[in-house]
Amino acid sequence: MATIRVTPQEYTYTTYDAGEIERIALRLAGQVGLDDATIEIDVDESTPLARTRIESLDEPVRIHIEGGAMEDPTAPRELSERLTSETIGRLLLRVVDRRSGRFAEAPADEELTLPQLTAWETSCLGRLERLGYDVRPPRRRYHFRTRHGFSDTADAVFDRLWATDELSWADIEAACAETEAAKQPA
Amino acid sequence: MKKLMTSQELARDGRFKRVPVQARALDRRMSPKEKDAAAGKKIAPRNQFSPEHPDAPDRARSLMHGIFVGEIQALEGAGRTCWDFEAGDGTNGTVPFALKLDMARQCWDEARHCEISVKLSEHMGTEIGEFGESAFLFEAACNPDPILRLAGVNRALEGLAIDVFNTMKMFGDTSGDPVLEFCEDWMLADEVTHVKMGSDWLRKGTENDPERRNRALEFQKVVDKLFSGGGFRGDDDASPIKLARRFRELAGFDKTEIDEIAHLSQEALEEARARVGGAYGS
Repeated sequence: MATIRVTPQEYTYTTYDAGEIERIALRLAGQVGLDDATIEIDVDESTPLARTRIESLDEPVRIHIEGGAMEDPTAPRELSERLTSETIGRLLLRVVDRRSGRFAEAPADEELTLPQLTAWETSCLGRLERLGYDVRPPRRRYHFRTRHGFSDTADAVFDRLWATDELSWADIEAACAETEAAKQPA
Repeated sequence: MKKLMTSQELARDGRFKRVPVQARALDRRMSPKEKDAAAGKKIAPRNQFSPEHPDAPDRARSLMHGIFVGEIQALEGAGRTCWDFEAGDGTNGTVPFALKLDMARQCWDEARHCEISVKLSEHMGTEIGEFGESAFLFEAACNPDPILRLAGVNRALEGLAIDVFNTMKMFGDTSGDPVLEFCEDWMLADEVTHVKMGSDWLRKGTENDPERRNRALEFQKVVDKLFSGGGFRGDDDASPIKLARRFRELAGFDKTEIDEIAHLSQEALEEARARVGGAYGS
């Protein structure tokens, strides 16, 4: 079973519950194949923004999450189980991808372009949906279209990435090249 | 049917969740950029509704959901204004019949905007009720004085809608989304008309009553300031929502009035910084 450490343990700006975050992360870790990992989750509750980053792929795996990424959009400052699962889940799947060897050629996270990151996360969210999580595919399709174009080609690439279980960096590059080509005037 | 209902009586089905204005006002959290500003650091302007901004799609979805619930409330508000006041010469709680006709026309427009917004939400992957609803527009529409009601709703809040629609129309254009761009353009055209109605009735309804005009303008100012929170909209590039000066001129605002809104926004930003500054050691 994975070991999960969430900081902080007490929240003052929000009503978040570290135990609830740990419980969600523990379940996800088991489902995505990080059963034996130690995972540290650093939450910045002082901001309503929703940025995230993976700070360490090696043990312990360390991820940083801004509070807005786990917030209930209908109740300010309250934790959303759905968005907490989605946020931690896609980060852990990116860790799994990076460790798989299929992403050896991929640049560091901070060098990824928005289209590349969106394409990668499309696959992560598709996998989360198949694990039983509510990840709202229409919302992700809209994200994808804003980065890859509002076109049939972009939609077809989205569907392909969503259905991919064993993603590789080459898949991401191919997806981005295909949608970029569709944006160019004939 | 009851006249002059209160905002607490506004009914909704189970999909909607009301977020009280106080819940947002009590939120002490700030973005890293706001923290820098609170600490007195200079921040680089960045358009948050640009396709290059990582948060732009979700911000756009949240903002358009806010507009959608605003359209429902505007429909309810204009309908109430038709009903709440008897036709007359505009004194003793009456309104000119022509004002009722304007409100009826606005109801027709708002109903169409609701339908457009529902379809647009689907297009953007947003579910009805996915975000909380603030009922502030309807609260302004419950003012017992019809002229203050129009100043608060038509001039302040529909004026804000002009700024939002113009910003989102540009986002639709730059992100290559023709559906968003056209929806915003169509609704923007109506908003200019609604704001113009507010400007015209403010002028006509207070022609011989400068004290009432001052109260109406003061009410509008309060509403404008509440919706400029944290510098949400303004002239500078760092404001998420840009003041649409040209469209506001078409809607009957003069330059001094538009400058005043820009000033209110700046004031609201500075007050927000002062309020939370201590929490971040500025």
